[in-house]
Order: sequence, then C-alpha cells, then structure tokens
Amino acid sequence: MQALKVKDARFKYQGSEQFALNGLSLDVQQGEFVSLLGRNGSGKSTVCMLANGLIPHVIRGTFEGSVEVFGMDVTKKSVAEISTRVGIVFQEPESQLFCMSVEEEVAFGPENLAVPREQIRERVEWALDLVGMRGYNKRSPFSLSGGQKQRVAIAAALSMQPDMLVLDEPAYALDPLGRLELYSVLRRLREKHGMTVVLVERDTEEAALFSDRVALMSEGKIVDVGPPQAVLRDPARLRAIGLSPPQMAELASLLSYKSTGKEFSFLGVEDAQAAVRHFIESQSGRARA
Amino acid sequence: MTGFVDLYTEVDTFLHRMDPRVKIIAVVLLSLLGFVLSSLLSLLVLLAFMFILLFLARATLSKTMFALKFVLRIMVLIMVLWPLFDPSGKPELASLGPVKITEPAIIRGVTSAVRVGCLATVWYILLFTTSQRDLVRGLVKLGLRFDFGLTIAISLRFFPTFGSMLESIKDAQRARGLELERGNVLKRARNYVAVLVPTIVSALRAADTLSLALQSRAYGARADRTYLREISMRGADVLALAIVIGLLVVPSMAKYMFQVPI
Amino acid sequence: MIPCTSPSSTDEKIISVRDLKYVYDNKVQALQGITLDIRKGEYLALVGGNGSGKTTLAKHFNGLLRPTGGTVAVHGRPAAECTVAGLARIVGYAFQNPDHQLFCPTVEEEVAFGPRNIGYDEKEVAVKAERAIEAMGIRHLKGRAPLSLPLGERRRVSIASVIAMDPEVIILDEPTTGLDAEEIKDLMSSVDRLNREGKTIILITHDMKLVAQHARRVVVLSKGMVSLDSDPRGAFSDLDLLRESNLLPPPVTILAHRLSDCGIPKDILSPEELVVRILLIGGGAA
Repeated sequence: MQALKVKDARFKYQGSEQFALNGLSLDVQQGEFVSLLGRNGSGKSTVCMLANGLIPHVIRGTFEGSVEVFGMDVTKKSVAEISTRVGIVFQEPESQLFCMSVEEEVAFGPENLAVPREQIRERVEWALDLVGMRGYNKRSPFSLSGGQKQRVAIAAALSMQPDMLVLDEPAYALDPLGRLELYSVLRRLREKHGMTVVLVERDTEEAALFSDRVALMSEGKIVDVGPPQAVLRDPARLRAIGLSPPQMAELASLLSYKSTGKEFSFLGVEDAQAAVRHFIESQSGRARA
Repeated sequence: MTGFVDLYTEVDTFLHRMDPRVKIIAVVLLSLLGFVLSSLLSLLVLLAFMFILLFLARATLSKTMFALKFVLRIMVLIMVLWPLFDPSGKPELASLGPVKITEPAIIRGVTSAVRVGCLATVWYILLFTTSQRDLVRGLVKLGLRFDFGLTIAISLRFFPTFGSMLESIKDAQRARGLELERGNVLKRARNYVAVLVPTIVSALRAADTLSLALQSRAYGARADRTYLREISMRGADVLALAIVIGLLVVPSMAKYMFQVPI
Repeated sequence: MIPCTSPSSTDEKIISVRDLKYVYDNKVQALQGITLDIRKGEYLALVGGNGSGKTTLAKHFNGLLRPTGGTVAVHGRPAAECTVAGLARIVGYAFQNPDHQLFCPTVEEEVAFGPRNIGYDEKEVAVKAERAIEAMGIRHLKGRAPLSLPLGERRRVSIASVIAMDPEVIILDEPTTGLDAEEIKDLMSSVDRLNREGKTIILITHDMKLVAQHARRVVVLSKGMVSLDSDPRGAFSDLDLLRESNLLPPPVTILAHRLSDCGIPKDILSPEELVVRILLIGGGAA
C-alpha cells in the first residue's frame, strides 16, 4: 500500500488568484524518506497540509484531484481520523507547543483519542525516547532551546503512533546545532523504525544526504523526482527553479566541466573526498609518467 | 517573564499534594469566611491561620511579601484612608475641620485591611501550591467544560510568550526612533499603535498555527477524552474538606443564629 | 531626544567596545568581557550559535541594552549617555522578524516612519524614504500593504525602513532566515551595494555559507566571549573552533580540510576556489 498517493491535485487558497497546487502528482511508498524541495511559494507547505487532511477540511479554498493516505481518501475522512495515520510538524516551534510541560504536550494527542491512561504513559515515554528527550517530562516549554522544542513537537506527533510523519520546514528557526539534532532524530526514525517521512525544505544540503528520493517542486507541480544523486546533480537545473544546489553537486559539476574528459558525480563530502583524491593521484601519476 | 502567572513552586508538602478540587473549594469557602467574620480579633485569627498554612506550604515570608507587595500597598492605603473618610463613632482622637479621626473608624480600617490580606493570602496559597495543569484539571473535574479549561490553560501558557514578544516589538520600534515615554497622553497613545499592531498581528499568526496544530492532534475528536493526569480524593483530602466546611459553617451559625459578635 | 551626531569624520572608529560585560535580570551572564572596534566601511559578520551572545552584543551598539560592566562608545561618546532614538541616526538595527516592525497601511508610510521619528522635515523624509526604497529594490511595492506581502518582501521593507534613517552602521539580524536561494541572492546584493556605497554592515548570522560569500571580517562569539576575530579565511582555517561555537562550516570547507594532505589549503570559501586548487595540484586541465 502506498503511504501517500496524490493525483493531479489542484488547490487555490480562498481569496487568492493563483493556484498553489497546479496539477501535482506524487507517490510515496511506505518506509520511504522523501524530501520535497522548492522555493518559497512553490506550494510545498500546501502539500503538507494536504497529506493530513487540513486541506480540504480546515483550510478554505477550492480543491480538485485525489489524495489517498494508506488507501484512505482524504476528502472523505476527518482530520482526526487521518491524524492516527499521519503526523505533522510545523515550522514554528513556539506556536505549536501550547502546554505547560513536555509531558502534557506529548500526551495531548492520545488523550484526545481516549487512549487508556497507562497506554498514554507508555506512548509518552516511547515518543520522548525516540527524539532523545527522555527525562524532560516535567520541563516547561520556556526552558527549552529551539531544537528541543521541535523535537518535542515531533514527539507530540509520534505519540499518536502515525505511520507517516510530515514535516514542514522543521529547521526553519533553528541554529546549526538545533538542525543537527533534528536531522539525527529523523534519520533515526527512518533507520530504526522504518517510518515513512515526508520532509519539506528550502535547503538542499541535508536532504541530499539521506533521502531515499527527492522531489523538486516549482509553481505548484512536481518537476522532477528520483534518488538524490540523479535529481540534485545539475546545479543549473536547480537554480532555474530557485534552489541553491548542494555545494558538492556544484563542485562535481564544475570539476567535470573544467577537467575536460572526466565526469564527476558526488553528493556527500565522503564521496567527494574519495573522488577528488583519486583524481589528484591519477593526475599527478600521469604528470610523472 | 513567567513571574506574574506562575507562582507555583514545586515543593513536597501536604498542601501541594492535596487534591486541587479541595483546594479550589477551600479557597472559595475561606474567602466567604473572610466576609462572614467582621470583628478585628476574629479576622486576625483568620490571618494567623493563613500564616500557619503558608508555613505548612513552605512558602517563605519574604517571597510571599514580594508577590503580594501590591496587596500590601492597598492594605496600608485602606488603613490610612478609612479613618479620614469615616467620621462616625466615639471616642474622637483628632479633628481638622470636617475630618474627624475616631477610634472605631481606625479599627474598622484595620479590620478591612486585614480582611484584604486574608483573601489575598489564601488565593496566593492556592496558586503557590497548585500547578496550572492541576488547577485546570481540578476545574474541569468540578464541571468546567474541557474547552474552557483548555482555553484558560493556553492563555496562561502564552501570556509570558506574548509579553516577551511585546518587549521585542517595543525594542524594534525604538530602534526606528519611536519614543514611548515622551509626549502627552494623546501622542503616546498614537505611538503605541506602532507597538500594538505588530503584536496583535503576530499573536493572530501564532493562533492560526496553534489551531492547525490542535486539529492535527485530533482535538475534539471524541467527547470521552482521557487524561494522563488523574486526580483522586484521598482520605486526607476528604478530611481537609470537612474541616474547611466546618470552619465556615460553625462561625456562620454562631454569628447569624446565635448572634455571637465575631 | 539627545541626538548623538558624529563630531568628526576623521576618526575611522565608529563603535568601540571595551571589556563589555552584560548580565540579564535572571542573573545569566550573556557577555563576559568583549573588546573590539568597528570601523567605517567594514563588512562584519557576527557569528555564533544560539546563546552565544551575538544579539546581546549587537543590541548594545544602538543603545537597546546598557552595559553592566565595561563601555560601549559610538563615535567616542558612551552609548549609555544617548537615547536609543538618538543613536538611531548612526546605528540602524533591522530585527530578525520583520513582523515585529511592520504596521503601516502602505510600504511608503512604513519606510517614512523612521526618518520622521528622528526629526527630519517632511521634504527630507520623502527623499530618504525614496532612496531607501530604491536601494532595497521595492519601488514596485510602494503602495502595497506591508503585512500582505510574502516574507522575502516584508524583510526588504523592514530593512528599507531602517536604512531610510540614513545610519552609518546597519545591523542585520539573521536577515536570510526563511528566504530561498533567489531571495537571499537579491537581498544580499542590495546589502553588498550598501557596503560599497560606504555603509558599515554588521551581519548577525549562523549561516557560514553566507559569511564565506559576503563578509570581510568574522567575529565568532561563544558563551559570551570572542573566540575569533579575523578575516573569513582565518575563521575557516580552524574548523574545531567553529564546531565548538556551534557553527557548521560549509561542506566545501570541510572537504578542503580533509584534502589538506594533498596540498589543498584549508581556507577554501567556495566550490570555484576548490576547483582551481584541485586542478592546479592535479596538473591542470588536459
């Protein structure tokens, strides 16, 4: 079963002239980690809200097309029902945590679903452990850093035990340390728990490194989708849709161009290091010969 | 900047452990008692009782005074102003034109001040010994609709956030040359628009995201919601409630039925 | 309002900080003794992770915070003697969240707000507002409501409203948060141009790629102290220091460090530079 199946989605926010989604189609398999990259205004936040039913049930506008999550037609199920399968994390840590303690926050979702108290307690511990915030139960949101707040937001979504997690630019307001913490949690979720993750981002650096697939968005449509290596390798292509290419991809492209005859293709620093070293050694070997 | 809203201090005393419903009811009953009692002596006894409770809650006097400094000022004001405006009774101690300072008036002034002190202290004890979460939980268990309880809880939680947002906005506008302390009342009011508009807009934006987050976590999905935090009445709680009820009923009966002058 | 006008333009130093200490109300010591000078025309990046003290430091430059120890002087005069409004003519501060500054019905009025407050007459206000709007490339938005614009444009309006006061020093607090690649490029080219025209720019950021591409001086703050004050090449030569200060060096710099044993210098700032170096070492293009 596919985790997310969007076909020809078109959506216009109420009061807006333009279509935020303009015939968007996307398939996400269970267990996949998909990054959705696009400039501001490309429609990426809109896709997030489509995945958990906020569109069309809560956000006003005109919607066409079909969206299915785990076989459920999103237009026919309530946000509450979908929330047991799809969890969402927004970009502002401050305004999505509304309880006085971490524990209350993470318990809020299951409480609403009338989960028995003992199970709620277990879920809270499990979720906090997953995001590396074990023991933070009684802490108030005021005492947490940005990265910690976002991790609590993830735990608060996880405690509903969804099968898919959708994150709308979760690292928006975070400093480098916070970003690192956040992405290591996502990586752990994927590797240890096989959770389906859809991550929406503007920055191409992190997504490049550990996504199964990357989808590029422009003007309400998916313009390219595939493994990071393939999708992120052409800097000019990325710039054309308003994205800044990963530095390693730029490096690879420049090297290929300037060292006529050789093709370079790498995304991560590790691969880059190996490839460049090999190149230098082979060149100096040739020079000596 | 949570000082104003969160007087709660986490200490392990029997008052802290008491069921929040009992505390809420007790505070209401003791407040009523403060109005039933009208003699200075009986109110001083009540105040002494408050101090005992403060001691039991391990609230230091200095901290209490600090939190209640506004109330202390009111008390002093009452004690000073009352005799000036209440010329009735004998014996007269001093007079200046229409203003007559009489002994009974002084005593009435002090009595009123002590009453205010009792009320403020008992509510302080409630906030000091009960976390916001327990307060709201107690109110909901007493019959308040969960929606209202959540609204109260969220308001309390965001109060300091919006407070610091307001400070940040004031700074941002001051950096554009806005002077909030100068000028007449009219000019200052106009200047505050530059601070209020961004605050309200930012607050509304936050509320928007908040409502999406609430719905994404199935808020309102079912009427039979469960709660992680359970509160239950123990024997000690029932006993405490009985005592407090007695504390109100006995003096009330004595005063209204048997005309005991307390 | 006590205006703090500059006595002379022969003194290059605009801001002088000597052993600055600052303690917040809740007893947290944010700054532990900072000493530095900022000269006219500099393009400085103030970097550090959250809690490093960079915003606290910058708020002393325009008088929003007063030192609890040490001194901060603007054109030789202690900032503590001036009001914030008085310093606004010399040091402009564009806050990270533009929504904390925008409130007028049109962009034009918004940009005019600052210069009007600090006492310019209506004619001067119009001139300065016009210039600021041109400088930030928002002429096409003049009649629009600032709050209805997308984030990138709101940011440019808020920065325009600060530079309209014609300050010598412009502090930009995390100006690229939330912007995509193209918006960053547009914004930073406006900022670069301002610097070329003689404005001193202080960029508060934790984006090291941005620093590598634009700043000429880097001051790294960590736990309230200056851990490094040098040009970008100096800053990028010491990766450990950057990591300890909770900063992420650009991938291309990390790669350069890993290849240093092949003869690649450590202070590489861009992919183009690295390519040049690699080809030089490899014997050049065939």
